[in-house]
Amino acid sequence: MIAQEQKPMEEILGFLNGKKNIVVVGCGGCATFYHTGDKKAVDDMAGKLEKEGKAVTKISMPLGMSACENEKLSIFLKKKQKEVENCDAILMMSCGDGVQVATEYTEEEMGIIKNVYPANDAIGLVGGGPYKFKETCQSCGMCELGKTAGICPLTACGKGLMNGPCGGVREGDKCEIDEEKDCAWVKIYKRMEKLGELDDFEEMNDPHEWGKMKRPRLFELKEPMSMMDMMGSMMNLNTISGYMSLMFAKTPEPEEEKKE
Amino acid sequence: MAKEVYSQMMKELGEGKYVFTGELEPEKAGNVDAPIKAAKEMMGLVCACNVTDNPQSFAYVSSLAAAYKIQLETGMECVYQLRCSDRNRMALLSDVLGAGTLGLKSILALAGDHVALGDTPDAKPVFDLDSTTLIHMIRKIVDEGKDLGGNEIEDPPKLNVGGAAAPGAAHLPSEVAKVKRKIKVGVDYIQTQVVYYQDVLDKFFKELGPTDVPILVGIYPAKSFGSADFFDKYVAGVDVPPDYLVAMKETKAIKDKEKKREEVDRINLEFFTDFLEHLKGTPAAGCHMMAVGYPRIVGPLKKVMD
Repeated sequence: MIAQEQKPMEEILGFLNGKKNIVVVGCGGCATFYHTGDKKAVDDMAGKLEKEGKAVTKISMPLGMSACENEKLSIFLKKKQKEVENCDAILMMSCGDGVQVATEYTEEEMGIIKNVYPANDAIGLVGGGPYKFKETCQSCGMCELGKTAGICPLTACGKGLMNGPCGGVREGDKCEIDEEKDCAWVKIYKRMEKLGELDDFEEMNDPHEWGKMKRPRLFELKEPMSMMDMMGSMMNLNTISGYMSLMFAKTPEPEEEKKE
Repeated sequence: MAKEVYSQMMKELGEGKYVFTGELEPEKAGNVDAPIKAAKEMMGLVCACNVTDNPQSFAYVSSLAAAYKIQLETGMECVYQLRCSDRNRMALLSDVLGAGTLGLKSILALAGDHVALGDTPDAKPVFDLDSTTLIHMIRKIVDEGKDLGGNEIEDPPKLNVGGAAAPGAAHLPSEVAKVKRKIKVGVDYIQTQVVYYQDVLDKFFKELGPTDVPILVGIYPAKSFGSADFFDKYVAGVDVPPDYLVAMKETKAIKDKEKKREEVDRINLEFFTDFLEHLKGTPAAGCHMMAVGYPRIVGPLKKVMD
């Protein structure tokens, strides 16, 4: 998922300076998971804006309804079409995808030209949890994990080296630029050692093929997921047993979580 | 040993001479007057000088321009340091061809410190290549007359290529494996990061094992306590011994400038004489003296090895 943090209120108020009527949209996808777009976040934001004298229209998209998908966002924007038409700005509590899908959709599909502002800063694709997450994949379009014992050097190494470690490994096998972070290449070495594949470590990896990452990347889905597919996916025994397990599993305390 | 010898340094290494190299640092300025002055002072004492490329990610005069001008005006052979932090593979290729065009004979291929450590921390770090793939690219250019994509290069440059090693790395096995990787791709020589501890150096040589690639061991005689302290605090992978730091710190209290210089020189000579004596018994093919801004120490230190 895309981790995100809310921007400082001063920055958000800077965007909205001189604008009275604000539509606040909370994304029901990643932003809801990270508490930067859920109903409470939208209510809190509305409260802060109202204190500053703004008139706020709230749109809270429910869990699973992501602002980055035209189909889903359109349902909620159309419900408040009049407010959207009459507002001075739209504040998206989502990642940058949500902001830009809203920008394009309001202009091209609804014919409404309004400033659409970000309330959040997206940090990146992360994995882990339940408390600590880390960026491990940058969606480069040419996965290198098969060569590096399952640890991505482009993302996990501060320099993104295909052949490390660099000369700056710190005490405790930490990164040159951040002593909180592990050196990815020492981790790769140790994992290759456990796998009995250390000979591979001495072989040069070719430079990464950045030609596979021509921005903006476009992607076409031949068969979009239908609502029936979605319902089917949610209403099967595996889903139910999975959610039941989560419900009854003990969430570890933060200090119990495996240190990275 | 290198297949082809292009630089004076490689020639002397090939002849079995114990080689000394120095280090010159271009500044944040519109000229290279200071490194030219230092190069002149070191003429005859070292066979070549490295010209640093944005060391510790502080942005200075281009090392290509500086190396060319210093070599032209002083006759000192310049080892052109080239780091991957600031250039993609196209810019690196252009600079390698540029170096050959300008008559440079030796490149030290480095990954480079992360830009976050320097004076321009919001710059976008590049690292399109790393030190190993840069060495590989230079080998391909020089030996095959081709770039990474296999495109032909007319009249390819004649350059020797070196790589770095960090004997003091926190995790030595992966560092040694990386150095072996550089040797496999055809590095002509290795210059190590600064080493202060004899046992650290011995362990590095032991782990690396025998190699016919000449290794120059880096030392850093500091011109002042401030320089030594900066190295200790900010240079990745280097620990300066506390006793040396304490001795250097005490020189700060000496008011008379001449006496202070004498004391700084005395401390450096005492510490590094011992280290250099030890170096004689190691497989090192030479010593890289990173006495930046401190060329007067090079002569007395070199005498230790006579």
